[in-house]
Formats: sequence, structure tokens, C-alpha cells
Amino acid sequence: MSALANEERRIVGFLCNWCSYGGADTAGVARANQPTDLRIIRVPCSGRVNPLFVVKALLNGADGVLVSGCHPRDCHYGSGNFYARRRLEVLKRFLPILGIDPQRFSYTWVSASEGSRWQQVVTRFTEEIHALEPAPRFEDVEPLEKALTLTQEKHRPLGVGKQDWLAKLKEAISDKLADLDCVLGWQQGRDLLHSVPLFIQSADDLQKLRCDATCHNNLVRYLPDFKGRKVGIIVRGCEAKSLVQLLQEGIINREELVIFALPCQGLLDLPLVEEALGRYQKLEGLEITDSALKLRVDGKDVTLATADYLQSRCLSCPNDTPVLADYPIGEFTGESATTAQCPELAFLDSLSLTERLGFWRACLSRCILCHACRNSCPMCVCRDQCIAESREPHWQSAKASVKEKFFFQIIHALHLAGRCTGCGQCQANCPMGIPIFALRAHLNRVISELFDGYQAGLDPKAVPPLLTYAQEEANIQERSWE
Amino acid sequence: MRIGVFVCHCGSNIGGTVDCAQVAAQAALYPDVVYATDPMYTCAEPGQAAIEAAIHEHQLDGVVVASCSPRMHEPTFRKTVERAGLNPYMFEMANIREHVSWIGRDIAANTHKAAELVRLAVEKLRQNSPLRSQEFPITRRVLIIGGGVAGIQAALDCAEGGIPVVLVEREATIGGKMAKLDKTFPTVDCSACILGPKMVDVAQHPKISLYAHAEIEEISGYVGNFTVKIRKRATYVDWDKCTGCGTCTEKCPSKTSYDHFNEGIAKTTAITIAFPQAIPKKAVINKDFCRQLSGKKCGVCAKVCPTQAIDFAMEDTFVTENVGSIVVATGYDLMDWTVYGQYGHGRYPDVITSLAYERLMNASGPTQGHIVRPSDGKEPKSVVFVQCVGSRDPAIGRPYCSGFCCMYTAKQAILTKDHLPDSQSYVFYMDIRAPGKMYDEFTRRAQEEYGTQYIRGRVSQIFPDGLGQMTVLGMDTLLGRPVEIKADLVVLAVGIEASKGARELAEKLRISYDAYGFFLESHVKLKPVETNTAGVFLAGVCQGAKDIPASVAQGSAAAAKVLTLFAKETLASNPQIAQVVLKRCIGCGKCLRCCPYGAIKSSQVRGEEKAEVIATMCQGCGLCTATCPQGAIQLAHATDNQILAEVDTLCQL
Amino acid sequence: MQLAYFPGCSAKGSSLDYELSTQAVLNALGISLRELSDWNCCGSTPAHAVSNLLSSALCARNLDLAAKAGADLLVTPCPSCLSNLKATSKRLEDAAFRQEVNALLDSPCAETLPESTSVMQAMAELVSCEELAKKARTSLQGLKLVAYYGCLMSRPPELMRFEDPENPMLMERMLTALGAEMLDFPLKTACCGAAFGIPKRPLTAHNCGRILELAANLGADAIVTCCPLCQMNLDLRQAQAEKAMGRHFGLPVPYYTQIIGLALGLAPKDLGLSKLVVPIDALLAKLSPKQDSLTSEPQSHNEVER
Repeated sequence: MSALANEERRIVGFLCNWCSYGGADTAGVARANQPTDLRIIRVPCSGRVNPLFVVKALLNGADGVLVSGCHPRDCHYGSGNFYARRRLEVLKRFLPILGIDPQRFSYTWVSASEGSRWQQVVTRFTEEIHALEPAPRFEDVEPLEKALTLTQEKHRPLGVGKQDWLAKLKEAISDKLADLDCVLGWQQGRDLLHSVPLFIQSADDLQKLRCDATCHNNLVRYLPDFKGRKVGIIVRGCEAKSLVQLLQEGIINREELVIFALPCQGLLDLPLVEEALGRYQKLEGLEITDSALKLRVDGKDVTLATADYLQSRCLSCPNDTPVLADYPIGEFTGESATTAQCPELAFLDSLSLTERLGFWRACLSRCILCHACRNSCPMCVCRDQCIAESREPHWQSAKASVKEKFFFQIIHALHLAGRCTGCGQCQANCPMGIPIFALRAHLNRVISELFDGYQAGLDPKAVPPLLTYAQEEANIQERSWE
Repeated sequence: MRIGVFVCHCGSNIGGTVDCAQVAAQAALYPDVVYATDPMYTCAEPGQAAIEAAIHEHQLDGVVVASCSPRMHEPTFRKTVERAGLNPYMFEMANIREHVSWIGRDIAANTHKAAELVRLAVEKLRQNSPLRSQEFPITRRVLIIGGGVAGIQAALDCAEGGIPVVLVEREATIGGKMAKLDKTFPTVDCSACILGPKMVDVAQHPKISLYAHAEIEEISGYVGNFTVKIRKRATYVDWDKCTGCGTCTEKCPSKTSYDHFNEGIAKTTAITIAFPQAIPKKAVINKDFCRQLSGKKCGVCAKVCPTQAIDFAMEDTFVTENVGSIVVATGYDLMDWTVYGQYGHGRYPDVITSLAYERLMNASGPTQGHIVRPSDGKEPKSVVFVQCVGSRDPAIGRPYCSGFCCMYTAKQAILTKDHLPDSQSYVFYMDIRAPGKMYDEFTRRAQEEYGTQYIRGRVSQIFPDGLGQMTVLGMDTLLGRPVEIKADLVVLAVGIEASKGARELAEKLRISYDAYGFFLESHVKLKPVETNTAGVFLAGVCQGAKDIPASVAQGSAAAAKVLTLFAKETLASNPQIAQVVLKRCIGCGKCLRCCPYGAIKSSQVRGEEKAEVIATMCQGCGLCTATCPQGAIQLAHATDNQILAEVDTLCQL
Repeated sequence: MQLAYFPGCSAKGSSLDYELSTQAVLNALGISLRELSDWNCCGSTPAHAVSNLLSSALCARNLDLAAKAGADLLVTPCPSCLSNLKATSKRLEDAAFRQEVNALLDSPCAETLPESTSVMQAMAELVSCEELAKKARTSLQGLKLVAYYGCLMSRPPELMRFEDPENPMLMERMLTALGAEMLDFPLKTACCGAAFGIPKRPLTAHNCGRILELAANLGADAIVTCCPLCQMNLDLRQAQAEKAMGRHFGLPVPYYTQIIGLALGLAPKDLGLSKLVVPIDALLAKLSPKQDSLTSEPQSHNEVER
């Protein structure tokens, strides 16, 4: 449906039944004149408002979305608006990375008796929306085809190619193997450059174990499938965080796990290496050192500078020490003094809102909906029940439009808010090289800003910030219209 | 589906600024709509009959009514469609009155908006499914908070109706403000004579348990099954032993305590029994003035008490009570009138509040009913009453009328003449508001029979003239000239405000309050006793200014609501609750963490962990639905698909 | 902080004693004030009764002069001047109004204009009551005084921002520090009727009479004022008020600066005491040198502290 041509803007309101809807009624009873643009959707509680409703409206042509609930501490349900406040504030700060003007979304509190306040809120929000241009249609945005240069200063010595601890690791696994259903590790895949997961159940299996810069699968992703069985797992720094996060969420049990921890030596950016090699028939040799990648391809020797072919995420990784380990093996370099920014994020930050929307439009036009991003994500625990493919609820249509693909990425990102440990599997596994990690990285930044430096995956006992609340939020300014 | 749409004109309320026929014509084109019409009054009997007839005639399986707020008539129309054989939840409302016709004059824009809101309702209805309630057992006991006349009335009515009552009173005695009054208007009968027997009934009724000197600490649960934690504040007197003989109050050497019951016009002892007719008639120690409790040597009361009831080590204790319903009757307090610098900021002893004046006139008060000036104990000859002190005054943020001051001021003027026949009273008033039975006659009597001079206008300043009298400067707005009156005593009709702690209590009860702290009724006209929290009812001034007859009536009304609620053994649950789609649930427990009611538990289904909603505990907030990433828990009647249908309707290209 | 002084028209005429005593006291306290050069009428009377714009333009010019002189604060002894200065600053916040005012001026007034305040507030800000007491050489002990602020000093409260608008206490604090007994004077902000002094003389007489009567009833030795117009009404027209009330008062009505001046040991002629219509001699007779000041060092009147 379209707004009255040229006169009205499309403004959607989500109002809680008890306070704000009543406040709007009170304004009506008082004959408090208001602009006619707003269309109110009545919900039981502001806590019922899934931030994705707001994004869906904004992506589909809403010029503005307003959520209004009971004043904090006055929630009819006690705490619904406390949760809403956190989630909606995260959303408000998330919108700019998508290229959506955060002014288009606002949330506030209006009680059932505050008819005149409601009149003010509606009038002011409507005026603010009219002061903006009509929201750009996603389909009309100029696609911004721009290649990212993800150069990154090396942060700490990565020790790429070191293998001196491999024997010790095998020994440790061998010692525990009898007590375990299996141990999760890696083995060589179709050639030397590619690794696949290895499920070690015997000494023979153990011989196939490989742990180097080609082993990019985050094995934590498989752990939920082993729930109820005792297993071992090999983790490096970022994978240990994923593991801690799953423990925190109760998806896996600590007592069913034996954790072998390795110092991370960085992971190869395989698409980059493959691009450098071009099409090849046979890979006969691979030697990885901190300085060089020596490959023998179709009878020819190729040498590449290692630093140019590592995942940018690894180069900027500040700490290789796993947060949780039963058997730490090898030497860890520990924390580096500086923290680097995610290069994808730095790139997006430099764009205007419209450019960002155009950038995503261009990027996601390449998406083939393979869902490798989701399937490789250790935090995507919904698995077969992902709402991307369900009709009950019907969040996504079957139409393979760029907008739907973009919306899927937003769903994935928002489902990870406060949970993403930043392992980067989503992006590393994207066959189309779409820099989708940036969305998660930005959310992590928002979460950290709002919740006093909170990072997912550090403390198995912490409560994810969006699954709890504080009555007085230290870093959230109550949005006031006075 | 076969949907019928009814676009109500509501007389000219909607029809005046919305082209209802046009909205209905447009609605007829919406998907699944097979019938659309625009009745004049949909909620009236013929309107409802027309809906029933249309359901039968057009084999409708869903109905949309576009009219007023669903907060007003949703229950009405649900019953209508149910009578015609539809499930009551196969019904949606579009609010085109409060949200459209009443807030804008542009007919084109309003009509467009109304048509869109109808479309929203149709699209939501297309996603609706029939819902059915469950029955759950209830605790047939009622908690009444506040033992003023409204709470007393509610307690007695409930108890007489066979319902056990838990009555909680903050002060040491029940009776509230009425117990302080001398006489009551318009009959000028003695307040104690009409309230006293009711207080005694409360004390003696086998079905009433009274907690005086107690407050509500915590409330959890929901209609039919509330759990209430009550804090019994330390009295330092074991009430099981105290006989109320009063020996302690005679012997207590600390005689300078602020006397709350007498509104500070006299001092009292540290250990007190508020007044001779107190219920319960038990002594309480005021810790701030007790010598023993402030670390000095004393203990006189403990020595003289014939039953050894004094316990200086007493601490607050807690009791928990289970009830099915709650009546809130917490009354009011006087606003702090000392904000008025022009009336002396409270520094002139002969400028007092009307409630203090009641204590001065009261035969059981500290002066035995002799009206004397607090400053020098002399009988006043000229008394000025000032109305609307802190009422109807937007300058100090109190625009509301306190309701009963006009009447009691007239009463006090009459009584002043009765007590002091050669006195002259003056009343400064803004308007005389006397709309009750025999009320206006009463104010006329004050003027015509008792010679009270009524002066229409506000008082600009009150100050001592240095010769022992007060000068009252004001305006006579009828004569259009300033007036100056010498008064021996000035009585301020101080406006009311919500009782201290009302906001905190509202939060515990999860009921709303207005900008001034008065509790919000469910509907200002049609549900004046109900709140938006099922099972919680209001009585008396806590909801807004009212006099004794109205408070008593509302107390009885609240009791009637409680008795209606408890007329059945069980209650029908609200079917708009969360439901788990077992197939989709992965047992991650995020919903369990958030649920404000602990209404979701983890259970094993075929060896897998799944969430399970406890139907009677779920209140239908939908926080779980917004939390579950895979949409495995859906709030019935506000499912993701229903809200998505609305969003998509508004925002699709 | 740079202070500019705006005396106002009465200072050069009807309230010459106020001006004399103000200058003498400020000098004794070491506060230097530079009089605005080429100042003009504040627009109080009668301009503001005829045209807000005209009266504001008059004030805007004064404020502009102060701004150009580099002052942060414009100080005036007269509450009526102050009221008009402050009202003008407030009105000039409106861009359209400022434009109209500028059109009336030779050149547009400065973008940022100094705030204005009363001499009394500036004095209290710069010299605490304790410091004031330390500088006193004559004790006011034994004097029963009432402070009378008049109607303008604290009204309208949101503009004047002067203490509790119904019960200001600044003069009380200063004079109590100097030893006087300050009586609670409920009419301290009442209207003296000055504005009706010509058209409705009985009204003015009645208003003044009421103020004088209360002070007399309370047993005050004098009514201490801070407003030239109030002072004139209560002092010069006291006989009229006495006639209206049918009672003799004989109450001196000095300025607070005159009383402070006496406490500081300044000479009566420097304080213009002879200008008072109702003689103040009875009050002077009650004064005695301060006990501790007899032994202390004589104070220089020219010492500059801040």
C-alpha cells in the first residue's frame, strides 16, 4: 500500500497495548490533532517487537518506524520494555552500517495517561521524517561496485608453519582417545591446500591429523551434534571463544568435552591463494613458513609471501591464547599491545549511508543463497529450523531478490548480536567473497560500546547482554521527547 | 476465508471526518472480504444483531469492525461473533475513531488512513486461528490494601459475601482520613459515630485478617493466584500481649513526638495509641522520639506495662499470603502547601490546614473540641477559609480539583458558628462545586443561615499584622475590588495528592497511574473500578478525588467485582499465550531466560530438550517470541506471521 | 570579571543619596565600578507603557554600550532598570524582535550582550557576609529593622531569578551579619503603589500606609529599601500615608547602602543621610562603635581586593 502521494510518508508504529496504545487513545479522546501519516500496529508489549520487524519495514519502503512502550519500570509485564530498550538501542546503532538512516527509527515511552505527550511524539517524529528525503527504495539505489583492499598490518608474530608441538598433541590425544567417542580435528582434503574435518576414533585416524594454516574449519560448529557424548576437540584462540559462547548458552556441556588448545598460526585466505595460482591440475608440494608459501603446482615452483595471503582477521588478531583449555599445547605469544580495527569495517565506515546501501546491493547481487555463511557459523544453532527457509513463521519469501538476500544477512547478523565471537567463518566460507563479516563486526562494536566492553565468548558464566537487562542502563540514553 | 467488514459511523464521531461508505466500498475489494457495510452504530443492539445476521447470511468465518479503540469494545464484539457461532478470536478491530477521526479534520487523509487500517485488520485476520481458553483453579481470598473508609467497606462487603479478606493498613489503626474528621457533610453527623461501628465490624469479622502497621513488600502472580509478601513494620510492642490499656502512653516521659493523627496541632508521647477508638487498639512506639530506642536510658513503658508487651528488640517481620484478587484503597495525602510563599511557607502558627482544623473541632481531639488558636490558645472571632490551596493551580503543576473541599469548607464554617456563636467566617472560593445530593442546599445554608461571607476570588497574601491578627489580602472578583480581612485564624483547604508510595505500589501491582500518581482505571467511565491488570480493583481516592459517599460506593463496587470474579471455582485463562512449535524448538533455553513470569520450563520430549509453556502462568507479553531466533515459540494472536502480515501490508513496494 | 555600572535616572536626581551611599559603600568594600559612558534612559517609564519595542531599544543601546566596553556584567542599583534590562535581554533572544530593535538603533547591537544584575546581588557575590562583618566598625546591634524589597526585585521570578520570590532574605543576611535584628516582614515584596502615585493617589497612600503600619506594629526602627521609587513613596509621601491610615508613623526609610555605610563607619554626609525626609537621628543615636573594631587597625577605603 502506498502513502498518500506527496503528502504523507509511510510511518509505521509498534505500540504496546497497555501504555502507548492507551496513550494514543487518550490523545484521541482529547481530540489532540496529529499528522495522519502514522499507521499503528498494536502489540502486547514493546518486548514483543522483534527488531527484524523494524528492519523489514524499513527495507520495504517505510520512511520511519516508531516503537513506543510503557515507561521503564512501568511495564505491564514487569520487564518487557527493559529487554526492548536494549534490543532497540542495538538496532538503532546497527542501522547505519546497512546504509539506513538511524533517524528513521526511534523508540520512546508513553503511558496510557499521556495523551498530550503522545501527540507531541507523533507530531515531532512525523516532522522529523518529513524533514528527510523519502526513504530510498533498495531497488533504486545505485549499486556501488568497489573492491575492498583489506591490507592489514601484522599485529604479532604468528609463527606460521610451526609444527614442533604436533607430536605432543598427538600424544595427548592418544592418551585420552580411549575415554572419548571421538576427537575433532582436521585432515587433508582434495589436495594439500585444502583441509577438511577429521573425526578421530582410532590410532589410524590420528595419523591423518593435520594442524596448519590450511585448517580453517571452526570445529566448534560440530559440537552441538555430539551433545550427550564425550568428545575431544582441537581449538585455537578464536575457536575457543565460540566454544565458550556455546557453553554459556547451554548448547553444549563442559563435562562432555576435552579441549586440546593450540597456538594459532593464522589461516590462509584460500580464495586469494587460488586466485594467485589460477587454474591448476595438480598440487604436488606445499611448504608453509612465516615468510613464504612454497608450492609446487603442475610441475612448477611458486613462492608467495605468506603475509599477503593470510586472512586479514588473523593478521589483526590480538591474542592467540585460548580462553579455555584442558590441554594447552605449544607456546602462546599472548596478547599484543594494540588492537586493530576490522578492515572491512574501516572501509564501510568511510562510506556515506547511500553508498553503504549501494555497496550491499552490489555485493549481495553476487549471493547465490548457498547459505555457507550460516552453515559454517558455530553460533547458528537453529540448523534445520532456520527461519530463512520456514513459512511458519514466514520471514523470508521464496523470491530470490537481492533485497531478500540482504535481509537474510541482517537476520543472521541480528541473531548473532551479543553472541558473535568473531571467528569470521561466515566470510571465509563465502564462495562469492562477500564481506559479510563486517555486519557482525559492527554489531560486536555496538555491543561493546553499549555494555561496557562486553565481548562474546570470554566467560562461560556471563549472560548474553540481550538476554538480560539493567533497570538503569549506564550507556543508553532514555530517548526523551520533552 | 470469508470476511465481513463493518465500518462504523459512530454517529458523527467517525462519520463526521471519515467517509465510511467509501472505506466500506474499498474494503469490499480486499482479499477474502465477501461483505462490507457501514452501519451507524455498530456497538448498539441493532448493530450487533446486524453482524450476527451477516455472519449467518454470508457464511462469514471472520469479522472486522472498524470503529473505536479495541481497548473499549473488543470484548463486546468478540461476544457478538461468538453468539453467531464464530470463535471469538476470528475477529479484528480497526481503530478509526481515537486514532483517525478524532485526531484530524482532513476527510481525504482520514478516509485513506481508515481504509488502510481496515486493510491491516483484514490481513491480520487472514492469519488468525481459533483460540480456546483453559480453566484454572483460583484462590478465593482477597487482599485489600488500605483501611480507610473505602477499604473498610470493600473488606466488609467481601467478608459478608463469604470471601476471606486480608486487610493491610500502613498506619497503626484503620479508619484512614475519615477517622480524623469531626462531622461529615451534608448531614453534619459525627464521623466517629458512623465509621466507628464499621471499624469494630472489621475487627470482629471472622473472615477478615487485619495487618495494621504493615506494608506491601512484593506481589507476584496473576489473577486468581497472587502471592503477596507483607512487611509488618516493627511496633516495639507485642500486640498479642498488648491490651490497649494506655498505661504506657500516660507514663511515657518523651512528650514531644509529632502527633500524626492530630496533624501536628499537639504533641504526643513516643508510645501512643492513635485515638481511643483505634482498631486495633494497640500501642506503637515512635522510634524517632523514644528515649530507649535512641540510645538513652528509659524503659518506663516496659516497667509500667502490666502484660510485659514492650519489646525494644523487635524487628520488621514478613508474612506471605495467597490471594486471588486485590483491591487497592490507599487513599490520599495533603499536598505540601508550604510551597506557597504568599501564605507564609508554613511559618505562621495560625495558618493551618483544614484537616488540622478537624482535629481542633473534634471532641476527641487534643483540645476536646474547643476551637482555639495554636499560637496563643485564644478563641478566634474571625476565621478565614481559603479554598483551592494546591488545587486547580497549574502554576504549581496541580491543575486538578480536589473535589470535596467546597463541601467540607461549608461544613467547617457551619461548625465554627456552632462552636463560637459570636464568630464570623469568611470563605474565599473560586467556584462552589456542590453537585451532590443535598450539597448545594448545604452550602447555601452556610451562607444564609450561618452568615458565612463567601468571597469569590483567590487570596494573594496572608501575613501577621504585628498586633496578633492575620491580614488576609485577596480579590473579590464579583465586585472587582481587592479585599482585606483581619483574621484570628486562617484555615487552608489544602489540595490532595496521591498517597505517599502510590507510584511504587503501582509498580508492584503492575497497574498504571496518571501524571499525578492517582491510579488509572481501565476505562474512565465504563470501568471505573477495574485496572488494566486483571484481578486488581480500585476503591476510593487512590483513583481520583472523591468524597465519603463516593468512596464507600466504590468500595462496594470493588467488592462486587471481587465477588463476581470469585463466583466461579475456576477462571478461564487468556488463550492469547505463547505456544511452542515442538518441531522447531531446539531447546536452547533463551526464552526461559527472558520470561518475566517464569512461565516457560524445559521438558524432555522424546529424549530432546524442549521449551514448555505453563499455560496458566503465561500472561502473553510475547517477549519469548521476539527472543526465539527460529520462531519456535509463537504468541497466539500476535504471531510473527500476523505481525509480518501487517508490516507487509503497510510496506510492500 | 569586568563590571559596568548603570546608575539609572533617579541616581542623578531623586535618589542622589542612594547613588552617594552606593558609591561610598562599594568603594569601602574595594569594588570598582566603571560607569557606562553616554548611557541613556532604561525605558522603564513611560516608554514601556507605550511601546515594548521602544523601551527595549533604549535598553539594548545600554547593553550594547556595556558590551563594547568589554563588560561581562551590567550592574544597576535600581530594580526597575534591572527589570527592563533583563526583559530586553530575554526579548532579544527572538531573532525577529532583535531585527526590529536593531532597525531603531544607529548600529545593530552586539551579538552577545552582557547579563545584568543588581548592585545588591553583585555586592553579595563579591563580598561574603562574614567579610562584610569583618569590615564593620560600627555595630548595628540594638537596631530593629525590616527589609523591604518592593515588588520588582523578585518579580517576575523566572526573569529576575532573585531568591525566593515571596520571601527574599538577602538584605536580612547582610544586615544580620552587621548586628541588626531583622524582623520577619511579610510585606517585603508588596506593592508600594508607586506606579499609581499620580493617577490614583489614595491607592498609593493606602499601599504605603499598610507597609508602614506593619513595620510600625512590628516595632521596627526603620524600613530598609533598595528601590528608589519605593523609598520615595514611603519616605516623601509618608505624611500622605499617615493621613490615609489615621496614624503617625515617623519611620525613617533609608537605603540598605546607607545602613551598611553606617556599619562600615562612613560619614553621614558621604551617605547622603540628610536627604532623607523622615529624619534618621533617633536611629543614629542607637549606634555604638563595634567593640572589636576599637582595637583593630583602621581600614583603608581604597584597598582593592579582587
